[in-house]
Amino acid sequence: MIRTSLRYHRPATPEESTAILVEYAGDVVVLGGGTMILPMMHRAEVEAGHIVDLRGLGLATVTEEGRYVRIGAMVTYGDLLDSDVVAREAPLLRRMAGAITGGNQLRNLATAGGAACYGNPSSDVPAVLVALGATMCLHGPAGERRVPAAEFFVDAFRTAVGGGEFLMWMEVPRLVVEVGYHKLKLCEGSGPIVTAAVVRDGGRTIATVGAASVTPLRFDLTSCVDSGVDTVDELIRDGVVNPWTDVLADGRYRRDVAGAVVRRAVADLREG
Amino acid sequence: MTAMVPASAGSSRREPALGAVEQTRRKHGDQLLVGRGGYLDDHEPPGTLHAAILRSPHPHARIRSVDASAARRCRSVRAVVTGAEALSLAEPLPHFFDPSLVGGRTTTVRVLAVDKVRYVGDPVAAVVADSLADAEAALDAIDVDYEILPAVVDAEDALAEGAPTVFDEWGDNVLIRFPFAEGDPARALAMAPHVIADEIRIQRYQTAPMEPRGYLAHWEPTGKLTLYASTQIPHPLRTNLSTIFGLSEDRIRVVATRLGGAFGHKFNGYPEEPLVCLLSRMTGAPVKWVETRADSLLVGAREYIHRFSVGFDDDGRILAITDRIIGNIGCLATWGGWSMTYPAGMTLPGPYLVSDYDIESIAVVTNKAPWNGARGYGKESATVAIERMVDLVAAELGMDPVEVRRRNLIPPERFPHWTVAKHLDSGDYRGALDKVVELAGYHRQRELQRDAREQGRTRGVGVAFELTPEGGDFAGSYVRGFDTSTVRVSPSGAVTVLTGVTSLGTGSDTGIAALVARELGLTVDAVSILQGDTDSCPYGFGNFSARSLATGGGAAVLAAREVRERMALAAGVLLDTPPEGLVFAGGHVHTADGGRSIAFGAVAEQVYRRAYAVPGLDQPLLEATKVDRPRNLTHQPDEHGRMSAYPTFPYSTHVAVVDVDAETGQVRLLDYTCVEDCGVQINPRFVASQIYGAIAMGVGGALFEELPYDSAGQPLARTFTQYLVPRANDLPAIRLDHQCTPSPYTLLGTKGAGQSGVGGAAASLASAVNDALAPLGVRITTMPLSPPTVLRAIRSGGKP
Ligand SMILES: Cc1cc2nc3c(=O)[nH]c(=O)nc-3n(C[C@H](O)[C@H](O)[C@H](O)COP(=O)(O)OP(=O)(O)OC[C@H]3O[C@@H](n4cnc5c(N)ncnc54)[C@H](O)[C@@H]3O)c2cc1C
Repeated sequence: MIRTSLRYHRPATPEESTAILVEYAGDVVVLGGGTMILPMMHRAEVEAGHIVDLRGLGLATVTEEGRYVRIGAMVTYGDLLDSDVVAREAPLLRRMAGAITGGNQLRNLATAGGAACYGNPSSDVPAVLVALGATMCLHGPAGERRVPAAEFFVDAFRTAVGGGEFLMWMEVPRLVVEVGYHKLKLCEGSGPIVTAAVVRDGGRTIATVGAASVTPLRFDLTSCVDSGVDTVDELIRDGVVNPWTDVLADGRYRRDVAGAVVRRAVADLREG
Repeated sequence: MTAMVPASAGSSRREPALGAVEQTRRKHGDQLLVGRGGYLDDHEPPGTLHAAILRSPHPHARIRSVDASAARRCRSVRAVVTGAEALSLAEPLPHFFDPSLVGGRTTTVRVLAVDKVRYVGDPVAAVVADSLADAEAALDAIDVDYEILPAVVDAEDALAEGAPTVFDEWGDNVLIRFPFAEGDPARALAMAPHVIADEIRIQRYQTAPMEPRGYLAHWEPTGKLTLYASTQIPHPLRTNLSTIFGLSEDRIRVVATRLGGAFGHKFNGYPEEPLVCLLSRMTGAPVKWVETRADSLLVGAREYIHRFSVGFDDDGRILAITDRIIGNIGCLATWGGWSMTYPAGMTLPGPYLVSDYDIESIAVVTNKAPWNGARGYGKESATVAIERMVDLVAAELGMDPVEVRRRNLIPPERFPHWTVAKHLDSGDYRGALDKVVELAGYHRQRELQRDAREQGRTRGVGVAFELTPEGGDFAGSYVRGFDTSTVRVSPSGAVTVLTGVTSLGTGSDTGIAALVARELGLTVDAVSILQGDTDSCPYGFGNFSARSLATGGGAAVLAAREVRERMALAAGVLLDTPPEGLVFAGGHVHTADGGRSIAFGAVAEQVYRRAYAVPGLDQPLLEATKVDRPRNLTHQPDEHGRMSAYPTFPYSTHVAVVDVDAETGQVRLLDYTCVEDCGVQINPRFVASQIYGAIAMGVGGALFEELPYDSAGQPLARTFTQYLVPRANDLPAIRLDHQCTPSPYTLLGTKGAGQSGVGGAAASLASAVNDALAPLGVRITTMPLSPPTVLRAIRSGGKP
């Protein structure tokens, strides 16, 4: 049970939200879908006196904005699956959302933005955002701040979101030419152990590996994508210098399989 | 559906079969489906307070002092109790099964730890507040001064010279050793043309019921104590409460609420049972406590090492086996899970005819949390071990593993068959093996395997035979092999069965109702069943060891027959005909020629309205209570030193087909076939659902379920994110068929169907994965066969 007395805030503007985050700094959490933060508060792993619900800010939409698809921070996995724009312009997000372990309850509550802000190395969203070259649009005391996804994930469970800031949108470039994706997990109920998203854009082939390390890792496969298995595996293995370990799988396993996961994502890309 | 009154009604145990048992779906299944079942946590009388428990963060520590004064001042706190304070309020907790009854060591357990904590999670203090949130918040204000002691978490470390002792007074960490030996295995091994020595390690895992445990107590000022409990065993729980509180048993009512899964996890003996009662007494209000998932995942249920030798001849005949089994039972507690180390040894040598064997099962204590019971009850561990031995024999001789099994199975003409600790009732083991081979298309699967290997795939086919002793009876404890049922007919003709066995949601309640309905010529709907309420049900031992139908079911049938006899007498008077030929069918009692009939309810009504007033209507007791039990129990060693604590021996055969991904170690279960023999099936639908569930559990245990600890003694799996259970997509559609060799020793010919499948699934998967890896020269001896373990083995290329 949540042990603290909790004050619930439902601001109507970004400025108001930031003001609350600043005023109660250190004793406040942002509420997305709540699928991660609320159980953690129930287990007393997170304690806070204030909770800021972003539902009043109109961030639950997916829109096309010029060269970008703009995904609000409150867009759920279910919304991603339902969105025609996502299906057309950012199918990788749809692939990712469709392979989330949680069932309907989770898909209808959990947000991709929340997953990003939580920054769990063993999760699907970070590497996909990095692979797509997304931009994370934060709001804070200084107004809007735009951070490339590749810089957003700082460490395990640490992101670029600073004091008084929260995530408003994620902007994903439209029309990435070709993508391939592969996710390895231990069984249906397991979180991701290693994921790979491969993007071919112009002449370049870039793989982004998720869950293998504290933050997503990018590998330029352009020169070796047609080489043998060993070349790719060696490149990936050497790149996963500091592999992530959790109860489900140790770093050694993640490192050992990362090459195969990348190759399977490449094969997926080729098969279209 | 007709029910006859045979001329010999009630005079013989084994009457000619009546009509078929009505095959219905689960009683109240619709309520479960729409979420209206109502579980422990749905009970909340007005004014209920909530308890939270402070648990040890250390695996082993001395408690220097506990200061709870600040907690008493926290918001809405009504009571706080520490171990020292509880000393004078509650007597030591009785053991579910005291190891000293069978020559083991023991310990005194209090409702809260007093001077020492012995595992992470050991309860130290408790708080009651208006809300659970306030109670949990107040836990932070309790100050415990611990002196940290060295901990031991690994069973082999615990056996080593100079290891820290969990119970200082024992001098070492051995709770008990169970020997099971026959013949001269040393000599037989020495003479055997081939001997293989190997080991298999089975991880700590549990049964993960969806609904965790919970208790709600109300100790009223009048002195009456009521406990609602998510428990399998309400009556002995009541007896224990009486002992702990010195409160006469008749003043205590325990109500077992509907269970959302139990599997042994909800056997009684937990400290939280008396604790909520004590807290209710202290506060004068109802007090509730519900296990969190993290609490729930503390409970261990399995963790074994088998080190074995198997001697055999050139034809694959097994000549001798030895197996030294070490069970890491965690800390000893009053929950009785440690006793699973008994069947873990007793079950061997399984279904095989082996005259020389030497098995020793050793229960070792460590600073992990204790075990409670678990579906399989150690037999699944024995199955994994013996099936591994048979596979190794087959591999060594280059023989087909099915053929090696065939050659060693106990042949049908040998039944009943004695081993040192089992009197096997009946069976056609080869028949079940042949049937699964046929149903699985085993030989075709082998061809497909060859094709798959040629295409570079890593395909394996695994076979297993599981013997599942059931109905355990341990005189001296409250784990008994008999049970009691009452059948009561009301004036309207409504029939109520009250029984001492409980149902976990398996459908055994529906099965018992259907049996009674058949005896009385009624439909299942006309019979309701009441279980788990100690105020209304006869004293009984609840649910364990797949015993419900062979005990409470048999008793209900006997009681129904007695009632039917009296109803027949009355109907004979009312229809003016001799009672002997009357037929109970379709809700009526018919004359033998079918010419006249009277409604069942009308007979009952007339008995109540006119007994003693109408000549011949002089048996108005339309209620009977009977006890029944399987025979085939040998409590005292016979002249050969043999005894048998389990009366029935269902068994099952399994074939699993897997693909192993050699790059990632992932195991994909492609195909699964099972043939089971639980004797007579009362309702095949429920039998099938039990087998499916047990197989799913065995698959989870074989592939990924695990409760790891770090080397310092901290448990690492606290949510279902870390403890992985199988989902539908992890399992193929299971092909299931049955064989029936009735038990000669139970009233209905049943043998028990609640556990078969766990061991067979775990063993057939281990067999299949090892079969898949054989061409790589790789063997895996450590469970679970999770991708990291499998890949590590593959990468090692067979080198340790
Ligand atoms: C059953 C289950 C299955 C799952 N399966 C998967 C899976 O297969 N793959 C996977 O990757 N993940 C999985 N997850 C994790 C899931 O993706 C996350 O729980 C979810 O996406 C978090 O989003 P939320 O909106 O619920 O976040 P919340 O729980 O509301 O918040 C999470 C964290 O982010 C912060 N936060 C949320 N929104 C913002 C914001 N806009 N700005 C700043 N901070 C914010 C919160 O303060 C909190 O610290 C699973 C979870 C469950 C419960």
